[in-house]
Amino acid sequence: MTVTDWVFLAVAAVTLFSAYRVVVSRKIMHAALWLGLTFFGVAGIFLLLGADFLAAAQVLVYVGAVTTIIIFGIMLSTPEELRGPSPEAGSDAASSAAPTRRSFLPLVTAIGFAAVMVALVNRGEWPSPPGSVSTDTPRLLGEALFTRFVIPFEVASVVLLVALVGAIALALKEESGQ
Amino acid sequence: MAELAWLVPVLPLASFLFISLAGQTVKGDGDRIGIAAVGASLLLSLAILFDVIGGARVAADMVWAFFGSIQLRMGYQVDPITATMLVVVTLISFLVHIYSLGYMHGDVRYKRYYAILSLFTASMLGLVLADNFLMLFIFWELIGLCSFLLIGHWYEKQDVGYAAMKAFLTTRVGDVGMFIGIMLIFFHARTFQFDGVAQAVAAGDFAGAALAVAAVLIFAGAVGKSAQFPLHVWLPDAMAGPTSVSALIHAATLVAAGVYLVARAYGIFAPSPTALMTVAWVGGITAIFAASIALVMEDIKKVLAYSTVSQLGFMMVALGVGGYTAGIFHLVTHAIFKALLFLASGSVIHGVDTQNMHEMGGLYKKMPVTFWTWAIGSGALAGIYPLAGFWSKDEILLAAHEGGYTALFWILVIAAVFTAFYITRATILTFFGQPRDKKRFDRAHESPATMTVPLIILAALAVVLGFANSPHTGWWFSHFVYFDHPHEAAASPFVLFWATASWVVGVGAAILIYGLGVISRRAVIDNLRPVWALLKNKYYFDELYHLVFVRGTVAISRIVGWFDRVVIDGIVNLVGYGAAKLSRATGEFDLDVIDGAVNGIAVLVRSGGAVLRRLQTGYVQSYVLALFVTVVVGLLVFAFGG
Amino acid sequence: MTLSLSVVLAVSALMFGLGVYGALTQRNAIRVLMCIELVLNSVNINLVAFSRYVGPDQALGQVFTVFVMTVAAAEAAVGLAIILMVARRKAHIDIDQINLLKW
Repeated sequence: MTVTDWVFLAVAAVTLFSAYRVVVSRKIMHAALWLGLTFFGVAGIFLLLGADFLAAAQVLVYVGAVTTIIIFGIMLSTPEELRGPSPEAGSDAASSAAPTRRSFLPLVTAIGFAAVMVALVNRGEWPSPPGSVSTDTPRLLGEALFTRFVIPFEVASVVLLVALVGAIALALKEESGQ
Repeated sequence: MAELAWLVPVLPLASFLFISLAGQTVKGDGDRIGIAAVGASLLLSLAILFDVIGGARVAADMVWAFFGSIQLRMGYQVDPITATMLVVVTLISFLVHIYSLGYMHGDVRYKRYYAILSLFTASMLGLVLADNFLMLFIFWELIGLCSFLLIGHWYEKQDVGYAAMKAFLTTRVGDVGMFIGIMLIFFHARTFQFDGVAQAVAAGDFAGAALAVAAVLIFAGAVGKSAQFPLHVWLPDAMAGPTSVSALIHAATLVAAGVYLVARAYGIFAPSPTALMTVAWVGGITAIFAASIALVMEDIKKVLAYSTVSQLGFMMVALGVGGYTAGIFHLVTHAIFKALLFLASGSVIHGVDTQNMHEMGGLYKKMPVTFWTWAIGSGALAGIYPLAGFWSKDEILLAAHEGGYTALFWILVIAAVFTAFYITRATILTFFGQPRDKKRFDRAHESPATMTVPLIILAALAVVLGFANSPHTGWWFSHFVYFDHPHEAAASPFVLFWATASWVVGVGAAILIYGLGVISRRAVIDNLRPVWALLKNKYYFDELYHLVFVRGTVAISRIVGWFDRVVIDGIVNLVGYGAAKLSRATGEFDLDVIDGAVNGIAVLVRSGGAVLRRLQTGYVQSYVLALFVTVVVGLLVFAFGG
Repeated sequence: MTLSLSVVLAVSALMFGLGVYGALTQRNAIRVLMCIELVLNSVNINLVAFSRYVGPDQALGQVFTVFVMTVAAAEAAVGLAIILMVARRKAHIDIDQINLLKW
């Protein structure tokens, strides 16, 4: 166990704890802020795993953009929830119509999944970590993206464009319909 | 001066930006800015032309983008053909800009008109200067866009909108072929640069069938833009735009881009006899086919439109039979005299407010300047000595004759007869005889100076320009613009005789029929009724395309629909019918015995359905839960099952 | 770092489980979306970890992470746009009351 290992364990613990808080926080705004911390934690994990470019991208894309638009979404859509939890508002017909949801099944499923995965991981024979890692990951990444993966790369950019247009169209249509 | 060539398209581009962004802040919505910019470009182009005549050549480029080991470059080159085209484009654009001051005066979208006129000029100049296929293609599409916008200038009228769309879509058909051709060239030559491709061809790296296919595909783009058969249908409809635009775009520059393209890419056409034959025959068919339609048109602009299609066919033949210089020379002279004819027709339309020649007549008294300039233009088109058209048409016939293309030679002679006939007919119907519409005649007036001065300048050029490639100047043009090496055709009395005979016969026949009435028009039409109807309907090409492409699509959907209705539904019905028969038999056989059981099963299925449909709750999370339960169970089986 | 790959994978699996649990139980559509982001991030950790341990000189796993990020960004934008539309129409985003897919 080196110092880096301890650092990794600490970062992983923070990440998992804040992920847990995302799920259980009563106020949605708190959940969003915890989500931001989770993203930071993941960025830290990336950094420790030698993926420095991805760590930077993680901070930019997730912490910078995704968290922000989620907070915007919260402010635009659920103003009453900002004031606090509204535990039973509108739960009359709904919760009875969705009986499976609040039962034990989701919990069992999630725990079952995590348990099976951890068990599988522990059973496996894994390669030991290589001693030295290329520090030139942006270059490696760029070369892979623009040579072998150039078509997926182009497709991904089209996906982004379509999502952009779609998001605008969805948000705009209602506006003009009013 | 030649190294300043990049400035030539930049000036009109700047004027486009200024007019569209801030045109309303200056007097006249920026029209003078546009004129000044194009005028400066014209002066610059003239300076460049003299430089190039003096032997200057310029080529400059820079790296635009890298893709791995592939470089995209952008740059410009100035050689004789580019310098010539620069002057032609800026000159006609400049005159059209001035002419439009009068012609478009008080138009609803005056500012937009001038802005796009500037953009068009800039794009066309960029196309001419481009030193590689990729840039050429970009400017090629830009001029297509400008053409679309200008044809649809009066888009309130539905026909106009449709005409603009038709022009855009029809040329697009050719452009797809051209783009594939460019990619093919790039694939084989590994470069877009004209000189690089030429080197690859010369080195034999790019040859054979691939070269021929690439050349024919490139030619497809030229067929679309230059309105060659069978993609000619858009040009006559494009006359829905303002006449000044028709003069600039649909007579002198844009349609000439197709010819220019073939000339610029001549290095890939020349080694391939197949490609050259294709070019020559498409051109030949177009030349005679369009000329024959022009014989019967009643709309003065339609006559000129089909005449343009036909003349472009002449140029293609010239390039196809190896008369490189002849094709370019005809391109230049045709640009001048066709712009002149269009602008003169615009002046007539401006005066009498109709395009139908049967509502005109006798106008030479009312519009003397227009008449005389028109007469010079039509003489040039007919090929009367010593006007510009005579020299260039003679060169093309000579090239066809020298190349041994006998069939094409005779096709061109007949097309030349038709040309002389239809333009004389148009002249007589418009300017001579009795006024057929008294009201319009009384209102008719000579156009303002902004319109007549450009006419006079063009008319003067139409007279003198032909001498640039004549024995009087020692075939100067042939030694200026050429492919590979200058070629001086030996004068042939045979060709000279037929070139002269063609216009004499054409003009003479038109005068006999329309001017003197020696031969009755009725009698001619009655005797040739089927031919006349065929021509009148433009060989039914619009109808054919409508039938094949528009109705064809509908028909295919009908067939699919029919298949769905008859075959699929038939199978379903048959199964249902069989099931009904079967159940009836069963029912009759077991009416009493099984009845209870059947009812029981029915009840069971029904209640089962009632239970099972609960699964379809519509709650996304229920579905996701089901999904994950399945995943976990699957994982368990995978991990510990075996 | 000398830790075994299994530690990193376990962290990823736990985070995945948390995300799935949240996505299955939250009633607010935006919270569901947030939990899906957790799931996607845990997958990214997985990919980067394999990239580090199995093929460190190729960065292939990182390439996939880039694509996952792209899709996640697109998903967040479109998802939030849909939620906003629902919010305007129904004045709430309680997915217990959004059941248009019902038989």
